[in-house]
Amino acid sequence: MSKKTKILAISSPGGHWIQLNKICNQLENQFDVIYATPGEHYKSSTKEGGRKVYAITDASADSKLNLIPVTLQILSILIRERPHTIISTGAAPGVMAILLCKFLPIKTIWIDSIANVKVLSRSGKMVKNHANLVVTQWQDLSDNKHIFHRGSVL
Amino acid sequence: MIFVAVGTQFPFDRLIENMDEWAANNNEDVIAQIAEGEYTPHNIKWQRFLDAKQYNQAIKDASVFVSHAGMGNIISARNQGTPIIVMNRQFELGEHRNNHQAEGVKWMAELSGVYAASTQAELYTLLCDTDALQVTSNNDSENLDELVNFLGRYITTGSTD
Repeated sequence: MSKKTKILAISSPGGHWIQLNKICNQLENQFDVIYATPGEHYKSSTKEGGRKVYAITDASADSKLNLIPVTLQILSILIRERPHTIISTGAAPGVMAILLCKFLPIKTIWIDSIANVKVLSRSGKMVKNHANLVVTQWQDLSDNKHIFHRGSVL
Repeated sequence: MIFVAVGTQFPFDRLIENMDEWAANNNEDVIAQIAEGEYTPHNIKWQRFLDAKQYNQAIKDASVFVSHAGMGNIISARNQGTPIIVMNRQFELGEHRNNHQAEGVKWMAELSGVYAASTQAELYTLLCDTDALQVTSNNDSENLDELVNFLGRYITTGSTD
């Protein structure tokens, strides 16, 4: 039996999480997807409807101090799970995960939120030179060299 | 029933106040998730936060979903086939940390079943005739398939072709 490639999908709650789920529900057909997101209703690692979801501390650019525990939590998940690829739709937790993976043999994919129509999101700008693959959901924001546009969640 | 939700990250009292005033003058049940808003409504049933299950059920049961212009709610509304009216937060009024929702509503309103209101007047106009708010087509799957196939190919082969 061949083992499926493991992917860690990580985002902040709300719209980012919903977009991430829409994409990863389908990726689950092909890959072993595990998740990390802030959420009080998730314990440190629970199976939610057969899914493995790690709860991490909620952090945003408005709560910079929380970026420290989040980064440590992500590092611990990466060490434990050793994913092949991480994928994020934003925001702060995804940025921290992608920056961490620069130093690890883990591929990184950033999918900029569909809400960012005219310019890449603030967090997207932070990772665009660090993620292995950057995807926008808007044709106008793509340069087809570093920032790709291939479909969208809607 | 009309379900109103403003997202969890920031309050959006303007929308809640508008809907509270509307409910006072209209014979329609309104339920709202007001998050950390300072304004507490008098004419509508409200809670600060609903859990995920209650939240999705409310969207499903609602004839119309009235929301801040957040992507998550638009996707959830489309998943449930419920028409949605979105009001954008305005940076100028201190309602968000930038004005991306104002830019966003312009294309959001092009989606079937998504209606944009920037002001109270526009919101009330849409609510005058809720039967006219309809999700006619919900065919997002092509775009999503394209994105998922691209990602799958990249993950397995590293190719962006």
